[in-house]
This record gives sequence, structure tokens and C-alpha cells, in this order.
Amino acid sequence: MVRLPYFTALTTLFSYGLLFAFGQMRDLFRKILDLPKSKKVQGYAPICLGLEDFYTRRLYLRAQDCFGRPIASAPDSWIDVVDRYSNDNNKTLHRTSNITKCLNLGSYNYLGFAAADEYCTPRVIESLKQYSPGTCSVRVDGGTTKLHTELEELAARFVGKPAAILFGMGYVTNSAIIPALIGKGGLIISDSLNHNSIVNGARGSGATVRVFQHNTPSHLEEVLREQIAEGQPRTHRPWKKIIVILEGIYSMEGELCKLPEIMAVCKKYKAYTYLDEAHSIGAIGKTGRGVCELLGVDPADVDIMMGTFTKSFGSCGGYIAASKEIIQYLKHTCPAHLYGTSMSPPAVQQVISAIKVILGEDGSNRGAQKLAQIRDNSNFFRSELHKMGFEVLGDEDSPVMPIMLYNPAKIPAFSRECLKQNVAVVTVAFPATPLLLARARICISASHSREDLMKGLEVLSKVGDLVGIKYFPVESENSHAEAKLKKLE
Amino acid sequence: MAKLYKQTVPPPDMNKNTEWFMYPGVWTIYILILFFSWLIVLSIFGCNAGMAWTLVNLFHSVITYYFFHWKKGTPFAEDQGMYNNLTWWEQIDNGKQLTRNRKFLTVVPVVLYLIASHTTDYQNPWLVLNTFAVFVLVIAKLPNMHKVRIFGINAD
Repeated sequence: MVRLPYFTALTTLFSYGLLFAFGQMRDLFRKILDLPKSKKVQGYAPICLGLEDFYTRRLYLRAQDCFGRPIASAPDSWIDVVDRYSNDNNKTLHRTSNITKCLNLGSYNYLGFAAADEYCTPRVIESLKQYSPGTCSVRVDGGTTKLHTELEELAARFVGKPAAILFGMGYVTNSAIIPALIGKGGLIISDSLNHNSIVNGARGSGATVRVFQHNTPSHLEEVLREQIAEGQPRTHRPWKKIIVILEGIYSMEGELCKLPEIMAVCKKYKAYTYLDEAHSIGAIGKTGRGVCELLGVDPADVDIMMGTFTKSFGSCGGYIAASKEIIQYLKHTCPAHLYGTSMSPPAVQQVISAIKVILGEDGSNRGAQKLAQIRDNSNFFRSELHKMGFEVLGDEDSPVMPIMLYNPAKIPAFSRECLKQNVAVVTVAFPATPLLLARARICISASHSREDLMKGLEVLSKVGDLVGIKYFPVESENSHAEAKLKKLE
Repeated sequence: MAKLYKQTVPPPDMNKNTEWFMYPGVWTIYILILFFSWLIVLSIFGCNAGMAWTLVNLFHSVITYYFFHWKKGTPFAEDQGMYNNLTWWEQIDNGKQLTRNRKFLTVVPVVLYLIASHTTDYQNPWLVLNTFAVFVLVIAKLPNMHKVRIFGINAD
């Protein structure tokens, strides 16, 4: 659902056109100026074909200082950002030794485990001394420690499935598992806004990939019916298997998937479901068990549940939780398990301790407190931003809230102004989002106190006025517009 | 002025090079850019209205021919070269022919041609140039020309 003021759509398209025109002119002059230079590498093919790097060179590099800022501390609610300067208009950036302490509104630190924690950190240091930072081996050789087996059982229990398998990287979990689960002759139906790891895994599997409109169970049903009726591409034989891939919280929209309806559609047409809970595990649901708990879906219905430890647990790595047979099969076939180094033991211990805190098994109720805190923080922040007139996406209870910027010039303006006022935000533009819909993505953490949130709101409001992104009129008219909107939906 | 809000659900288009064309406001901004460039040409060259429309028509033809029908591929590397053999015109709407977007883009050069030739009173040097431009553009946009490379020009 795209909602934007008409005038903003026109100006955004015009701005992109202008940037494109300038980029083309600069390329033209570069070609002319480079004509007399001799080509020392005769006979070699060019690294970049044609215009492949045009976007990077002419649009991304202009605002490069807003992306990839180095940090100098743990990503807690306040974070140290290293200052950088550039002598050639952002083509190259140089680090200084100055550090700015900023309010951290960009890290995926949903439950506050990213910085030192009173229960987790001593245990992690203990395991670092005992098991050392790396296992120096793959899981099947010598890389499975006691911690790994303990975490697999704990993760499976936490999510509500019989068994689980771990991987060292969240991205790799998706891109290496999907090819192990499905191959040529199978069909993958994935949500149109799925993460790049899923897209890569689907492409690498060799199966046919179809896309359904984001979060629209009726369109999914349409696609399923059409594909089941047609069968495989040329032979029209029935598909070997059909997997529908969706995410718990979509990180660019902050909205939850319509899990019950989509599960009903998949059950009806006997398609397998693969749920990627990277952002939702540990952050939503009454006891933090993710989107299944929040929306009341039985975890036994979802065939494969994937998640990462990077977001809510303050560690790194990913897991797949499914039935015992599937996990056994994956342990024998998935190349990331057979040939990739196992997770670092202190990282495993961090996840174990974090899950124990969330479940309350550490003997305190800090887990429940953190979950309540993040829910309250997210709802408070979102409602305040709405009241100020920003266009904020995302559902209730979701800790991810993108603020729409639209115009390409507002991306670096917003980012730089916020940094000047000591707030670190993450801005996302094309091609990670659609062209017109550039946004600044705010991630709220349980470690943000009320004062932090108030400061954040104050800075965002000031910067929003400066940059001009308060697209929707304030309170009184906003409720009128929302009522009209509800009628249209 | 009442704030107009547009609300649409664009169909899922995986090609990031062309999906921006499905959003509201694209047709309007295209027409507005043409109109404003006419005003700018008038103010820079100080010619009469017909000459200005002819200049706009010719520049528009050259620019759109180059970007829609000559340049192939996409300006970023994420799609791993999937569209490296297709021009922008062949990529939009996933290659489906005769969609609303394609019909609109075919009509625009024709309308520009009519305006340009009318305002120059169908006088000769401009008429030939305008006609040639519109012929080339409209033929390039016909559905039969999908993925056709005449005499191997601009082939891989």
C-alpha cells in the first residue's frame, strides 16, 4: 500500500531525473576527457559492462558519508560514531580519530543484549576462556562443542519445534538451506518484499520462482492456483514440491505478515511454508517467541522456521527449526553445515544466556521486563511520530519503524542533520527499496529509556521540519485522513 | 490548496530498473517536463513557438531513443546481468506488450509530432525532421519489434 502526496511523487521523479541527467553528462565528459589517455590493459574484458555501476558511481557516491559509518563502541542505546571527512566530494572518505556519542536509533538491538549484560557477559567471558574464540573446525569434524548442542536444543524448545540446526551467519542460513530443500522441478513462491538472502537462496536452488504481492493472501491463492494448474514450465508435469516463503516482520516496512490467512491458503493447496523470523524472534509476542505467538498460529503448522541470533539476542548466526526428520536431513546435506566453520563458542554462549534471560530461566523477570519495555517503547515512539505528522510505516508492537523520506535529496539531508544533533539513524534508498519510497528506518530497543526516546523525538521533529518530511497534517486533520483511509481499505 | 494523496498497490515487478514506472505521477511528470522544457527552449533561443516545439520534439526523440531503445541492461549490478540483452523498452511491464504504459509512451511522440508540425505550419525542413523522428520512435515501440535487432545493430 503506497500512500504519498501527489506533489511529492512528482518532485521525487523529477529529482531522480535530474540526478540521472547530471550523472549521464558527467559520464559523457569523463569519456571525452579519457579519450586521449592510453589504455594499458589491451585485450582484457572490462570489469563492469556498460552502465552496470552507474547508480553506484553517480548517485550512491554523492551521499556515501551517510552509509557505512564506522562505530567505536558496542551498539548500545548510545553509540560512538567515528567522524569522517572527504576532500573530493565524497568519492573517498578518511577516518579521523574524533568520536561523536550519538543516540542509537539504527542498530537491531531489540532487547538490549548488544552491550554488556549482567547475566550474559560474565558467562560469555567464561566460555571465551574455556573454549577460545574459534572452533577451528567444521561442525562435522571437531567443531561441535557442548554449547552447540545445548543451543540447538534450547532454540528448538524456545521456538516450539522438535529440533534445530545452527549456522554461523544469518544470510548464509537462508541462501544455503533453500537450495538444500528444493531443487529443479520445485516451485518457490516468495513474497515480493523478501530479503536478499531469500532471493539469492531461491535463485541458487534452481527451482522456479514466482512472486506474490506483498502480504496479500488472495494474490497468493491466485498464484498458487495458476501454478498448480500449469505445472512445471515446459513439460507441464506436476510440481515436485511447492514452498511458500515469507517473513515475520518485513525489515523495510516494519509490518507483520498475515500469517493465519496465508497458513490457511497454504494448507488448502498443500504447499510447504518457510517462515523467516529474523526480525521477529525474541522481539514480539508475549514471551518473545515471535510472530506465531503474537498472531496465534501453532508452530507445528509452519513447516520450517528460520531465525537469526543477530537481532534480539545480540550475537551472530542463524538457525533453522523444523521436525526431527528435516533437521536430520539438513545435517547430512546442507553444505553450510558440512563445510562451513561452526559458530564461535562465545557467540553461542551469548545466545544461550540471552534465551535463558528471555525465558526467565536465569531466576529473574528481566526477560519479561525487556519484552514489555520494547513493546511500550515502540508503541510510544510510533504514536508520537504519527502525532508530529511523519509518515511512519509498520504495525502496532513492531519495533521497526520506517519514516518515509521519498525525495532522494532528503536522504543525506536527514542523515547529516541528525548526526549533527547526535542522533544516528539509518537511511535506506533505491535499490533496497522502490525508487520513490526512500526511508529512514528507526529500530527501537528495550535499552532505550524514556529520556532517550524523548530526545530522539525532539531531534527528529526538528530535523523533520528542516528537511520537510512531515507530509501528513497534524492531529486533528490526521484523524480525518485516517478515517477516510480506513474506509478505502 | 487541498492536499491530494495518491494510494495505489503497484503490481510486483522484480526489475528495479523499470518498477519505478508503475507508480502514480509518472505520466504527469513526463508531460510536465516536456511542457517546461518547451518554455525553457523558448526563453533560451528566443525563437517562435513552432521552432521551439520542433526543437523539443527532436531533443525528446534523440534522448528517448537513446535511453529507451539503445542502452541495454540496468544501471546497477544486483540483478547479475539478467537484463543485459534487453533495452529499457523491452524490460518494462516484464516484456508484456500493449500495456497501458506502453500505449501512453507510444502516443506521446505522436502528439508531440502533431503539435510541432501544426505550430510550424507544416513547413519543409522541420516537417521532414519531425516526421523522421516520429517514424523511428513509433516503429521502435511496435510489439513486432520486441527483441528485434535490424542488421545486427546494437546486438550483443
